[in-house]
Amino acid sequence: MKQRTLWSALMVAALALAGCGSATRPASSPSGSREITKLVVWDWKSGDASSASYVQKAKDDFAKKHPGVTVEFVAQPFDQYYTLLGAAIQSGTGPDVILFNGGGQIRDRVDALLPLDQYVTEDKQRLAGWEAFGEDGKTYAAPVTLQGHPIYYNKTLYEKAGLDPASPATTWDKFLNDCATIKKATGARCFALGNKEGAGIQFFMSGLGSGILTAQEYDDWIAGKRVWDSPNVKQIFKLWKDAGDAGLNNDGANSTAMFNDAFTIFNSGKAAHIIGLMSDIGHWKDFSEFLGADKLGVMPAPVVTTGVTPSLAYDGGIGYGVAKWAKDPKLAADLVRSLTTTDALTSFYSDAGAIASDTTIDVSQGPAAVGTLVSEIKGGRPALHVALSSKTLDLMGRLSQQLLSGSATVDEVVEQLAASDRAS
Amino acid sequence: MRSERLAPYVLVAPALLIIVALRLWPLLLGVNFSFTGDGERNGTMVGLDNYLEMFQDATFQSALRNVGLLVLLLPVAVAIPGLLATFIYLRVPGHRVFRSVYFFPAVLSPVIVGAIFNLMLAFDGPLNTVLATIGLGPVDWLGDPGVAMFAVVGVHVWATFGMALVVFLAGFATLDSALLDAARMDGASLPQTIRHVIIPGLTRTIQFVFVTTMIGMLTSMFGLLYVMTSGGPEGSTYLPEYYVWIQQGQMNRPALASAASTVLFLIMLVVGLLQISVLRRAGRED
Repeated sequence: MKQRTLWSALMVAALALAGCGSATRPASSPSGSREITKLVVWDWKSGDASSASYVQKAKDDFAKKHPGVTVEFVAQPFDQYYTLLGAAIQSGTGPDVILFNGGGQIRDRVDALLPLDQYVTEDKQRLAGWEAFGEDGKTYAAPVTLQGHPIYYNKTLYEKAGLDPASPATTWDKFLNDCATIKKATGARCFALGNKEGAGIQFFMSGLGSGILTAQEYDDWIAGKRVWDSPNVKQIFKLWKDAGDAGLNNDGANSTAMFNDAFTIFNSGKAAHIIGLMSDIGHWKDFSEFLGADKLGVMPAPVVTTGVTPSLAYDGGIGYGVAKWAKDPKLAADLVRSLTTTDALTSFYSDAGAIASDTTIDVSQGPAAVGTLVSEIKGGRPALHVALSSKTLDLMGRLSQQLLSGSATVDEVVEQLAASDRAS
Repeated sequence: MRSERLAPYVLVAPALLIIVALRLWPLLLGVNFSFTGDGERNGTMVGLDNYLEMFQDATFQSALRNVGLLVLLLPVAVAIPGLLATFIYLRVPGHRVFRSVYFFPAVLSPVIVGAIFNLMLAFDGPLNTVLATIGLGPVDWLGDPGVAMFAVVGVHVWATFGMALVVFLAGFATLDSALLDAARMDGASLPQTIRHVIIPGLTRTIQFVFVTTMIGMLTSMFGLLYVMTSGGPEGSTYLPEYYVWIQQGQMNRPALASAASTVLFLIMLVVGLLQISVLRRAGRED
C-alpha cells in the first residue's frame, strides 16, 4: 500500500516537472564564449513571393561576408506584427534583426533597439529616408523603402473632360475647377477617400500639406514646434471639411476602408485623384496595372497658400533595426547592411514595386509615374503626419471622422489635437 | 498510514498546480503589471495612473457605454431565437427548412461574416440599393456613429442566434406536449400559449441562453469589430476587448492594456456572479 502511494507521488512529481518544464526559460549559454552561428530576422515581407529575390540576394551577400552564420527569416502576419513584437520586447528575447515601419512605430520602441550610427556611416549618402528611423540624433534602423504620399491622377478622366493631362492644376482654385469639370463630364468624384481607419486624414495632411504650410511652418512642424491654432494648420482641417461638405470625396468616406476600398474606387475610375502611397500597396505599380502605366499621373500638391513651394512628402518606409539583446551587434548590423545593398534593393524595387531607399537605382525603364516620383525625392520633405505620435494620430483619425460627419468644428479639433500633441 | 492520508492531496496537486501556475499566477502578474508604467516609466510602479488615464480616455468611456448597450440589447438577442424556435416547434409550414437555415450562420467565422456584411452594408452596397428602390435615403450603416454599433450587434445576433435556437429546441423537447394540447383545447391564442405555457415551461432554458448570449456578446465580438468598423466611426464601436488590443498592439502601451484587461475581467466577474446567483435562485424555486 505504502509503495503504491510512493509510486503515485513519484508519478505526480514527474508530471508536474514535465508540465513546468515548458514554462521555464532554457538556461542561456554564457555570452561571448561561443561563436554566434545563427541570426533571426523578424519581418512581414519575406513570406511574399515578390520579395523572394530581394531576400535571397541579401542572404547571399551576407553569406559571402560571414560564411559560418545562417540567417533565418521569420515572416509574421502584419496585423499582428507589433503585438507579437511587443511581447518579445517585454520578455527581452526574440529576433536579432527586426523590420520596422518608420516614424511612430519605431520611435515608440527605440528602448529595445541599438543605435546603428557607427555601423552604417558608409551607407548614409547612398540611402535616403534615415530621419524616419532616428530619434535624438541616433539612428536605429537602415531604410529599405521610402514611403510617401504623392497625389496620383487618372489621365483618362482628364482627357474625357477635355483637360490637358500633361499639365494638372498647380493651384487649389484651379484644382477645384478641374474637379468640377471632370465631375460634369464623367461623373467621377475628385478624391477617392477611405477614412474608416482614420488613415484618410493622414494622407490628406501629408499629401496637401506642402501646398498649405510655409517653409518655416513646415520645418517647425517636423522639428516638433507645432502651432496647431495657426491659420495655415487650421486651413488643413478646413480644406478637409470643405472637401467633404462639397462632395469632392466618394460617398460614405467614413465607412470606406483606405486599404483597399478607396484604392479600388480610384482604380475603377470612379474618382479622378487619390492621395496614395509610394511603396507596399496603393502605389504606382498597383494603379498602373488597372489604369495603364501611361494613364497614371503624379502631380505636386496644388498651392493653397500663395508663395509656398510644394514638395513631395516622404519618409523612410520600412527599415531594419538591431535588437538590444542581440548577442553580437556587429554581426547583426552587418546583416542590416546586406539587407540594404544596391543589388538587393534593386530587386525589391522591380519585383515588389517599392520606391527603394537607394538613390542610385536606375528607374529610367519604369513607368513615367516612377520617374516623376524619383525626381521629386531630392526636393522632398518628411511627411507631416509621421511626426505625430501614434496616440495623436489615433485621435486625429476619430476627429477627422467627426469633421466629415459634421459633429465637430475645426476649432474644437485643433484644440484637442494640440492637447494630445503636447502630452506626448 | 500517514502517507495514505496524504495521497488524495498528492493526487489533486497536479490539477491545482496547473491552475495556480498557469491561470492564477499570470492573472496576478497581469494585475500587478497594470500598476506599472509604459515607455520611459517601464517597470516602475505608478499606482493608479493607468486606471485614471483610462477612465478619462474617450474611447474607453465609449467602450464601457457599449457594454451597457449590450446588456440592454440582451433581451432582444434572446427573444429572437426564442420566438423563432417557438414557430419551428409549433410546426409552421417549412419548419424543417428553417431549422437548418437558421443554424447555418453559426458555422461561419466572424471574419467571414464581417466581410460579407461589409459588402452588404457598404454605402453603395445592396442594402442601400434596395432601400433606394422603396424611396428611403441611403444609410451609412458602418459610417454613422449613431447606427454603427447597432449594425454590428445586429450582425452578431444574426451570426450567433442559431446556437441559441438549437438550445431552445432542445428545451422544447422536454416540454410536456399535453399542456400545449390542453391550451389549444381551451382556445388559447398564440400569444397566450407563449405567455402561459411555453415561457414558464422553459425558464431554465431561457436563463441558460441569457448567460451564454451575454458571455458571447462580451467576449466574441472582437472579430466583427475588427473587420467591420475598426472601433469607428468616431470611436463609437469600441468594446473593452478592442481597447485592450489597440493599446497593446498599436499604441505600445502594454501596462495600460493590462489595466483595461483587469477592468474587463472585473466586469465579466460581476456579470458572471450575478447570473450564477440568478440561476441558483431559479433552481431553488423548482
